[in-house]
Amino acid sequence: MMTFEDLTTHITQALGEAEVSVMDRTGTMDHFTVKIISDAFQGKNLLDRHRMVYQALDSPLKDGRIHALEIQAKTKDEAQGG
Amino acid sequence: MSNPIEDEIKKEIAQHKILIYGKGTKTAPQCGFTVETMEFFNKFGYPYELINVLPNPEKREALSKMTNWPTLPKVFINGQFYGDTDILGPMEEKGEIQPLLKEAFSDQAN
Repeated sequence: MMTFEDLTTHITQALGEAEVSVMDRTGTMDHFTVKIISDAFQGKNLLDRHRMVYQALDSPLKDGRIHALEIQAKTKDEAQGG
Repeated sequence: MSNPIEDEIKKEIAQHKILIYGKGTKTAPQCGFTVETMEFFNKFGYPYELINVLPNPEKREALSKMTNWPTLPKVFINGQFYGDTDILGPMEEKGEIQPLLKEAFSDQAN
């Protein structure tokens, strides 16, 4: 179990400036959908973007605070372009 | 020095055009994401293999290391790692999946 704030802090500490929105998928605060808009993703393919997010959340993923994670990772330009 | 688990994985990846490493079996999947991945490929009608790695933590660990990807399921198409449906979904939206699968199965009559 993990709060939205905790999760967001992990991500912004790793990526720098990022707009993070978190959804609790199951009401148990351990299955999340995370949408991240950050220019840290510029020039990276989707696989690498997801690896960056997994890296940022390495400890809560390993100790079980996060059980499942769905990720959407976009740059600012991509988010505006729809 | 070769690692027997890695060799086994490489062999499986080479053997199956579409390979999902997941949790559970086709008839008894044990994870929502594994089900989601099976449903994703069911739409396209090409055969895929699902290998259950739950009973084999060493293999699960070796796979994570080889792909630098911590979670299951893990999808390989034509020997190439494609992550999971978070990656495949956006690729499908861009119309990239159909040609990729067509290419992967191009050497087989269908």
